[in-house]
Amino acid sequence: MSTREADLSPVIPIIQTNPLAWKMRQITSGFVPLNWKYGQNDKEELEYAEYNESEALCRALEHIRMVKEKGSVEERHLRTVEDIAWKSGLAPEDIDTLLDVVLSGPFAEAVKNRMLKCLIPATLIPESAVVRAFSRLCASNCSNNTKVLFCRWLIAMFDFIDGKEDMNSLYGFFFSFLQEETMSCYICNLLYLLTKRENVKPFRVRKLLELQSKVGMQPYLQALLSLYKSFCPNLITISLPPKRKFYFKTTDSIWQAAVYIVKERNHKSLLPSVKLTIGTAYSHPRKKKWNSGCIIPVPTSSHISKEEQDKEGGSSSLDVMLSGHKSFPLEQLHTFSQLLDNIQNIELPSQMCSVLKSAPLLHYLNCIQDETVWLRLYYWMSQELKEGCTWCKVSNYTSEEEFRKFLDIIISAQCFLQEGFPSSEAFLYKSLPLWDGVSCRAEYLQLLSWIPLGNFSEIKPLLCDSLTQLFFTSSIYHKCSVLYSLKQLLQNWLLWHAMEVSVKPTRSTSADTPMIALNSVSELISYVGWLSTIALRLESNSSFLLHFILDFFETVSDMYLNYNLPLVMMFPRGVFYPALLTSDTIALNHLCYIMYRYRVNLTAAKENELIRQERLKFNKTYQEFNEYVTALVDCLWTSTSFEKDHYLYIDPQILEKTKIREYKRSLNLINHPALLPYSIYFLLQGWPAEKELSLSSIQEHLEDLIISRQSSAIWILHRTSSTTVASTFDKCMSPCCMS
Amino acid sequence: MALLRPLDKLPTLDVATILLLGAEETPLEQLGTAIIKECEGTAKVQVHVASCLPLPTDRECFRPRIDLIVFVLSLHSKYSLRTVEASLPHVDARFFLGKVCFLVTGVRKEPNTSIHMDAVRKMATAYHSPLLFGDLEVECFRASVAQRLIQILQICAGHVPGLSALNLLSMMKPCLELTMQET
Repeated sequence: MSTREADLSPVIPIIQTNPLAWKMRQITSGFVPLNWKYGQNDKEELEYAEYNESEALCRALEHIRMVKEKGSVEERHLRTVEDIAWKSGLAPEDIDTLLDVVLSGPFAEAVKNRMLKCLIPATLIPESAVVRAFSRLCASNCSNNTKVLFCRWLIAMFDFIDGKEDMNSLYGFFFSFLQEETMSCYICNLLYLLTKRENVKPFRVRKLLELQSKVGMQPYLQALLSLYKSFCPNLITISLPPKRKFYFKTTDSIWQAAVYIVKERNHKSLLPSVKLTIGTAYSHPRKKKWNSGCIIPVPTSSHISKEEQDKEGGSSSLDVMLSGHKSFPLEQLHTFSQLLDNIQNIELPSQMCSVLKSAPLLHYLNCIQDETVWLRLYYWMSQELKEGCTWCKVSNYTSEEEFRKFLDIIISAQCFLQEGFPSSEAFLYKSLPLWDGVSCRAEYLQLLSWIPLGNFSEIKPLLCDSLTQLFFTSSIYHKCSVLYSLKQLLQNWLLWHAMEVSVKPTRSTSADTPMIALNSVSELISYVGWLSTIALRLESNSSFLLHFILDFFETVSDMYLNYNLPLVMMFPRGVFYPALLTSDTIALNHLCYIMYRYRVNLTAAKENELIRQERLKFNKTYQEFNEYVTALVDCLWTSTSFEKDHYLYIDPQILEKTKIREYKRSLNLINHPALLPYSIYFLLQGWPAEKELSLSSIQEHLEDLIISRQSSAIWILHRTSSTTVASTFDKCMSPCCMS
Repeated sequence: MALLRPLDKLPTLDVATILLLGAEETPLEQLGTAIIKECEGTAKVQVHVASCLPLPTDRECFRPRIDLIVFVLSLHSKYSLRTVEASLPHVDARFFLGKVCFLVTGVRKEPNTSIHMDAVRKMATAYHSPLLFGDLEVECFRASVAQRLIQILQICAGHVPGLSALNLLSMMKPCLELTMQET
């Protein structure tokens, strides 16, 4: 770079710390007395000096415009212009004039370059001036160096140009300059800033790929290709290397200080807002830093609507004129009714990711037939997830907080659309082995519950292996969170299945039932049953964990009636027995409720054709249920669980060593550790006068009551103990053995 | 004796010992401190750090029984892989029944790995031991790795009733068919 600069103008040495820039800074900060150059040392004469200055500028520009060659007078004028430019910047008209002179004047190259270097705006650069200058550049015979310098100037001052529509319509002309070797990297930078979705055309892509085969994968080509790919992923099929932080040099050394000062100056004085009509988000200083991708912009329209065109009086984009209809400005789309009214006129924004935050646009996305729209969204999402993931990559621009918010947005979009995105599923599979189990846990596990319904044997090696390893080596809270997400996954699958079945016209369940759903759901349930059994062992039957497990199986128990899936699966023994022998009332209550729901479902399922046909397979389920109910009743009601051939049989000699007198009845309804508070409450309510409370007295009291009034005993039981436990008994006491 | 055996010493009551083995000392020591910080209050944990096996024989009698060996490798250093490979023959075969695990660091700085992930995976499969990923440089990730190692350690030291190290290993390995599992 520096040698190049030296070549350009041997007259004026260009150094990084430009003394003019330094002077500019000094003057704006107010340390140096103003206008010492003009020999005025008095601050009071400031206004006069300013007036003098602008006059001087006018005269200088006049002269430069008229003159044919450079002499000493011209040198003085040029220096005046330079000084004023660096001090306070040039007005838009002056820039226009100067550009004119530069690109069509008769001066030597060195002078022209000098003039280009001092083109620093005071506020804005008019677009018309740029367009005119560029057309002169194409037509006239400027040297290569001038052209390159002009491009560099454009890139440096890009943000100050007050409109980009015209420049965008010259896109093809800019593109043709790619051929020239010296200019190609700056042109790429310029195109990168200018490109909109409409500019991405197959022949341009082909041209870029040709160029790439000639010069290799240069970073500037890579940048432009990545941008094209993010707009139209279907046009570019080659795989691109992952995003880099910096593709182009940030700012040109020549104008670096000046740009900064002008920006600061403009920031202080309230500028009329530069209306960006390009559909890209305005939070992107793309030149400076790679987009901190987790910022999702507000959707903006890609075309100006007709009213705005008439207002501005600017030229409209060709497509809008040809199509003849006005597109609804997306910034105003807030409600569903607006969407319905304007559904013919909606154009999707250039930044596809902005639909994720807008509910009406998500609705719209659901209806359209175009697959490429989804491709764009998925491509952007997979890139962002890969880049922003805090545990897969060291990323300097996303913290855990930002990534968490980003995941939240994706999850709410999935929840809104009630379907999962394949890119988030792929991300889950890739990042799960590397996950530490703690970062962004709540949000990340919610991604788990949106895996689309598919063949479980395909999902298993990708998901279950890493999940299992993490599950067994992490804390109880992690285990509970995973179980909760798996429950939601099951619910989602069941809902999708139910929807599919209701959509299909035939109601016969024999041949049309999607077997995939059946198999996947049953495999998922056995997987979770296995996880739960071992988790209970690992956490020594913690009631907190048991709550989540029973929650899952509550969903399972009602599968047949609620979701119309011809499948009934029991929970494993490793879940039933710890829940039965627990000392937590709620767990026992929950267990009894689940048994009740199973009974209802199993009775109803006997009518089902499919189940009748597959009797052999479902026999096992009925047998398991019978076994559990028998164990339940033995334990809580008949107190026979310690007898021979029952599930809790222990050699009586060993039991005697425990020195518990009435061990036989120690687990029944009255004496069960989980139901102890209710027994005591029963005694206190029924016999408040008694001073000595003994649980065995309940039995006597009950017997008395049963002899006299059978029904009221049950009624008292109903009132004082847990209602579901009692109702289960009511129902279970009726013939419960089925086959 | 050159081999490190799992059962040749009596266990100390309520104490679990973990041995961290790796080429670089600083991350191991930081991990050790993190482990001790994480398990304050529960059973006592002793952390031993070594750079290679065999362990020096002069302090043999003072050393407690080792419950879990963790081999730490970095994806950016071939030397760490070679150190681990050189130490593996000094471990008795019975250790590999659930009392060994491999910890890989440096995954986050993916682009410039000198060891391919597949080589590490193959080694873990060959020795039939679980493979964990973690970053030991950032504190929060170090803390979560420490928590996971403590969970495994508790089981290997026999502090969880009804579950042994071999049991845990068989559950974590994906080769077992789920449908054949007794639930």
